Amino acid sequence: MDTSNTPPATATPPVEDQRVWKAGRLEPMPIRKLPDAPPSVHLIGPTVFLVALGVGMGESYMWPRLVLLFGPEIRWLFLIGVTLQAVVMLEMARYAMATGESIFSGAARVFKPLMWFFFIVAIAVYIWPGHLSAGAAAFEEITGIPWVVTAVAGLILVGVIFTLAKVIYNLLENVLSLLIGALVLGTAVVAAMVGTWGDVVTTISGMFSFGYLPAEAMTAAWFPVIVGACAFAGPSGMQQMWYTLHLRDSGAGMGVHQPKIRGLRHAGEEEEVPNRGFMFDTSDPAEMAKWKGWRRWVTFDALLLFWGITMLVTISFTVIAQSAVRIDPAVRTAIQGDDREVALTAMSNAVSAAGSSVLGVVFLGFIALIGLNATLGLFDSFSRGQADMTFHFVPGAKKLGMSKLYAIFLWGVIIFGILILLFGPAEGPSGILDTLAFLSTFAMGAYCVTLLLVNNRMLPKPIRPKWWSNAIIGFGALFYLGMLFYSLFAYGVVVG
Amino acid sequence: MTGRHSLELALPGASIGAVAGAMAGGLTLLAGQPTGMAGLAALALAAPLALFGGLYGMLLGHGVFRPGTFGPVGLYWMAAFPVSRLAQELLAPTGALVEGVPAFLAYQAMIALGFGIGFLWMHERLMPHWLVRRADGNPLARELLGTYLRFAEMMRTRKSARKGARR
Repeated sequence: MDTSNTPPATATPPVEDQRVWKAGRLEPMPIRKLPDAPPSVHLIGPTVFLVALGVGMGESYMWPRLVLLFGPEIRWLFLIGVTLQAVVMLEMARYAMATGESIFSGAARVFKPLMWFFFIVAIAVYIWPGHLSAGAAAFEEITGIPWVVTAVAGLILVGVIFTLAKVIYNLLENVLSLLIGALVLGTAVVAAMVGTWGDVVTTISGMFSFGYLPAEAMTAAWFPVIVGACAFAGPSGMQQMWYTLHLRDSGAGMGVHQPKIRGLRHAGEEEEVPNRGFMFDTSDPAEMAKWKGWRRWVTFDALLLFWGITMLVTISFTVIAQSAVRIDPAVRTAIQGDDREVALTAMSNAVSAAGSSVLGVVFLGFIALIGLNATLGLFDSFSRGQADMTFHFVPGAKKLGMSKLYAIFLWGVIIFGILILLFGPAEGPSGILDTLAFLSTFAMGAYCVTLLLVNNRMLPKPIRPKWWSNAIIGFGALFYLGMLFYSLFAYGVVVG
Repeated sequence: MTGRHSLELALPGASIGAVAGAMAGGLTLLAGQPTGMAGLAALALAAPLALFGGLYGMLLGHGVFRPGTFGPVGLYWMAAFPVSRLAQELLAPTGALVEGVPAFLAYQAMIALGFGIGFLWMHERLMPHWLVRRADGNPLARELLGTYLRFAEMMRTRKSARKGARR
């Protein structure tokens, strides 16, 4: 291990380890103890955020739609997308758990402009409140309340909750856990009632039809849609990067040495946030044994909770969509169209019409629930990420404190969101829509490259990723950037 | 007395099972289906799911399952969920058995794994709160609460270590 200050050989151990780990040009990380890992089999942890953010329109709408258009064989791309995201999750966790720093700080250690790139992309992509529309529109279908009213009320509610919460992480983890529990249980029950063995066999066997791409998929009309769906398989855009903030705040690995973010009302009780992360002694076998425990812990999260729940929800929604077409063939035409709300309503009507065993309202209820989950998670994560970068890298920002910066970004995005919902285009100005879609997918390729640089250059050798993990992340960069640029140059369209 | 103590442990799991089952029928009612049909569909699924959910809590109290462990719970629901659905189809048929009973059971067993994740997720959230309320008069609850507390204590020790180390 690269240490600049070896402790003196004394009979009694020093109270505080003076050694540091030098990573990049930023302040070195002091060596501290790695805490014991919790049992690898557990069910409550920061992955709940990634699941809440990740299970969204990709799983409930985009992929069922592609299956109806091109057949279940197209799902091999989904399998690749979600599996890739599970590996990305493991590698994001590697840096966050080893240092207690976010991946943004890791990027700044490699090359500061890289971090500012993500800061700007986050603002450009995530300040538009368009993501609220699907959930709120589904709620309008059920209750008749205009979606703009629901969306504005939802925005204010999110702001008030996060402002009053003493420790935001605990509150959000509890709320999202209950919502996701309800979603998983409900989706399973609905799929159990509307689906058949045949549906699930074709859905799953389709995942292994590697290389299947029908001629129609390779057209200017549909290839960009496929690129978009691949980017939305699991967490999209910058959501994986935000996951490192949740890991830190939950006290995973060296995150235990960092304080939690508090709501604005409790900002005065905030503990001092250190300027940098920490490192553990990777030359100590006992510390490395604990590290292996943490890796087991996060691997369980990645495989069962993240991969398992994402697969379950998307298989269930695909089965529901297949049943809907069987019940009412007109649904296929509705789904082929570009209007998401029309397609979702058609699917809901079809399952409602089939009799007592099928549940159109439940279907729309789940779409609304997914929207609510995503909104809660997205607003919190965006504010958390921007506050983190501002706090550490904007001169003078430390005086305000992390909790106040969090509140500024949160209320900033809420007020902007309300103004846009009332007076402007919710998805963003139409002229820059393509650019936003491009940036969102580009950020995914960019974070794969960032991960390779950060984990292989900023971590001590014993805890760097294995070659196969690097190969998968490298493939991820090629997958996202390759599809994006192929779509751009071959068809002149970025993402559908 | 022991019977009552065991039954008390069944409450969180039974409630989750009942609510999950009732979702199927209760919300069908909102979708405009006849009340009788929706009620029967709900009851026919909610009752067996509540029964198996409650049984899980009792077995947990007797040390057959360990808290928060997914594998055995997944297997448990792979058996219990298809049986519950079969009971529902027999009492309130919806035509799901057209592919034959083996295909039906195989499909339900697959979905059961997902149901198992959701069930355990909710159960781990609710059970500790219930145990705190019942620990005084119920030795089984006290013992199970002890298991949860040992885990919480481990987490707390980790967190208190953070303050000393952060500087």
